[in-house]
Amino acid sequence: MFVRSKRYPLGKSFPRFTLRAMFAGIYVLYPLGCILQLVSTPETLGVAGDVVGLLMIAAALALFAVLAGSSLQRQSQEPETMLDERELAERNRASFSAHSIFSGLVLLGIIYLMIGRDLIANQKLMVWLPETGEHWNAIFWGLLIASLTLPGALLAWRKGEPEDEAE
Amino acid sequence: MSVVQNRIAVFRAELSMSRKDLADLVGVNPQTIGYLERGDYAPSVELALRLAAVFKAPVEALFSLKPFAPLGHTLKEQGSS
Repeated sequence: MFVRSKRYPLGKSFPRFTLRAMFAGIYVLYPLGCILQLVSTPETLGVAGDVVGLLMIAAALALFAVLAGSSLQRQSQEPETMLDERELAERNRASFSAHSIFSGLVLLGIIYLMIGRDLIANQKLMVWLPETGEHWNAIFWGLLIASLTLPGALLAWRKGEPEDEAE
Repeated sequence: MSVVQNRIAVFRAELSMSRKDLADLVGVNPQTIGYLERGDYAPSVELALRLAAVFKAPVEALFSLKPFAPLGHTLKEQGSS
């Protein structure tokens, strides 16, 4: 997802470190926030855990909103005809890697669900499995954010520092 | 890092052209010119030919698989011939 603004038609450029920190922030804050929400009951962390979890999720979504207007998101989400040959070549490499990582994540998740279900059915071990709509909702949004940001995150780690364009 | 050597920066400086000017002329993002000049990206044949056309130079004067000889050396050779 790339949100074009009138001020930055080619997306806003950020220093590479900032971009990496923002992508890392999303991948750390969102799952941690969801886990905090999951484990926060009146007997454990109480309302405080619930609120902190919610704030972490909100912070991850805010980072996602900022990145949606970045030049890297433009490069990873723009139609092919809007990119030059270098941008397209880099995007294709990043998309291939992102596809492999995403497929691996989904596969690992399915394997976990299958093994967890078998363990519970045989009463060998109690493992956490998503049950409620809220659980599946958190997983769905997490996967959606990952699928939309992974190519951009890989570009942020592979590319060098942007230079002054008018130089 | 690309193995294709180039003299884009030299030719561009000679024409007092900014990266943005050159990028507009060959139809790429200005950052791509920076990547080309640093040797971080090897252009397609089409882009190489477009760059050569802008500088009105043969493409082999702009790109090479071997490191370019220093300009002083080239001038000296031309002087002796």
